[in-house]
Amino acid sequence: MLRKLGFAALRLLCVMLLASFAGAVLLRIAPGFSSDEQELTPGLSAQSVQAIRDAKMADSNIPRFYARYLRSLFHGDLGVSQSLNQPVSALLRERVPVTARNLGFALLAGWILALGLALTSQLVRTRWFAFVADGLSSSFISTPAAVLALIFVLLRWPAMLAAALLIFPKVYSYARNLLHESSRMPHVFAAQSRGAGRLRTLICHVAPIALPQLVALLGVSISLGLGVLLPIEVICDTPGVGQLAWQAAQSRDLALLVNLTLIVSFVTVCATMLSDAFRSEPAGSAA
Amino acid sequence: MKGIRIAAAAVLVMAFLVTVFAQFLAPAGYEHQFRDQPEARPSLQHPLGTDQLGRDSLARLLYGMRVSLLLAPLAAALSTLLAGLVGGLAGCFGGWTERVCTLLIDLFLAVPWLFLLITVRAALPLDISPAQSVVITFLLLGMLGWAASARVICAGARNLMRSEFVWSARAMGFSGFRLIRLHLLPNLRGALAAQFWISIPVFIIAEANLGALGLGVAEPLPSLGSLLKEIQEFVTLRSESWRLLPLFVLIAVVSAFQALLNREKVRA
Repeated sequence: MLRKLGFAALRLLCVMLLASFAGAVLLRIAPGFSSDEQELTPGLSAQSVQAIRDAKMADSNIPRFYARYLRSLFHGDLGVSQSLNQPVSALLRERVPVTARNLGFALLAGWILALGLALTSQLVRTRWFAFVADGLSSSFISTPAAVLALIFVLLRWPAMLAAALLIFPKVYSYARNLLHESSRMPHVFAAQSRGAGRLRTLICHVAPIALPQLVALLGVSISLGLGVLLPIEVICDTPGVGQLAWQAAQSRDLALLVNLTLIVSFVTVCATMLSDAFRSEPAGSAA
Repeated sequence: MKGIRIAAAAVLVMAFLVTVFAQFLAPAGYEHQFRDQPEARPSLQHPLGTDQLGRDSLARLLYGMRVSLLLAPLAAALSTLLAGLVGGLAGCFGGWTERVCTLLIDLFLAVPWLFLLITVRAALPLDISPAQSVVITFLLLGMLGWAASARVICAGARNLMRSEFVWSARAMGFSGFRLIRLHLLPNLRGALAAQFWISIPVFIIAEANLGALGLGVAEPLPSLGSLLKEIQEFVTLRSESWRLLPLFVLIAVVSAFQALLNREKVRA
């Protein structure tokens, strides 16, 4: 058990370090890294411009930047955002709760809708209900997150509802298939033959079988939700981590992007590990 | 349900035919400007009206579908190839090879796919020619979208390596490339094909997301994503609902793929 936990922690650490390093390398080699828009400010003196250039040059050697970053990280210092001129820790303190709240709402609403429809489809086994539920799910799974966010903004509807509607189809289709498979197990047929009703069969015999896999899906949906929130926060101008990541990528803000990659990869790897812990074999799709 | 699948197949066939014959259906082309008719409403001459630059919206939709529907399978092929290589290596050789490959897969899965895609695309140059932007966009999709498929292929290859027929093949002296070519690849073909088909609608949507954020195919070349970006230029959609047609086309095409993929799942 301890060995397993130790191995999982090592894997988490390796992935986080590699992900943040890859992010730093990517930004360093990206065009436009060596120039800074602040240099064009007319009121700046030659010394100020030189100071901006020196600060930029200090970050240009990636291994040195990364070693310095890790040393500071162990002392609790996440560095300073060059584009926003603020300590990264302050920015994260401001933005992480917003995204966490949005993610929580989107997951809750998406799961309620998905589970509600999946459970109802088990109780009401009519063709029209399956057609409507599948059609709804298919429509939202086929809609790009950015476009749905755009439509919600234009129609002045709450943007986080868009995130919930994008999480819903994945959870719904998986939960529906899972409940359907569980309802075809021999003990369920035995219970039905002894006169158990649909609701009782669902609650006592089908749902307990499907529960561990559904918990595993919760882990996957956290990662899915984070991915969906990025374009939604950008389009809807929500001051969360997604919008911050967008700004960091556009202004080549190395310190900010490395920290964001670290946080996002930490949350995602933890969610994936939680998901893996609940199922024996890894499964998934390109989605 | 059979009717839905027939309808889905019909939608896909029609979409591909329309993209192939776009130059006959919209001879004006996607970049010709009708300068005296900017933002025109639908008419006989322009069934879907014109955009802000006076370009025929129907022509742009047809050519946009061509870019998205013909290049998404290429990106899916690239991603399946990478998934097959990495996942197959990990599953076949096990040990340290598997650990390194799994770490690589975890690395790509650690950052949400859309986050990764948008960050990498934003870090690449944006002032490039339309043709280059198409190649970059779909290469990125293929090169960043393989990790989830690789996990499935890895699990499949690992199971095959434990199967009795592989043991007996090894006992008969098959090893290395011969074992992979004659025994593993034919049995992994189904999983690889499934991953390829699953990736196509995912890549169409990913391109649309990139396009809607302004990071996709560059002007004047249209794609479904860049057409969707134009929605934000209209203050109200209620009075100009035909502007949403590219979105409905996208939903119809991706839903058709989903319906057919579900059928394959049932068959499997």
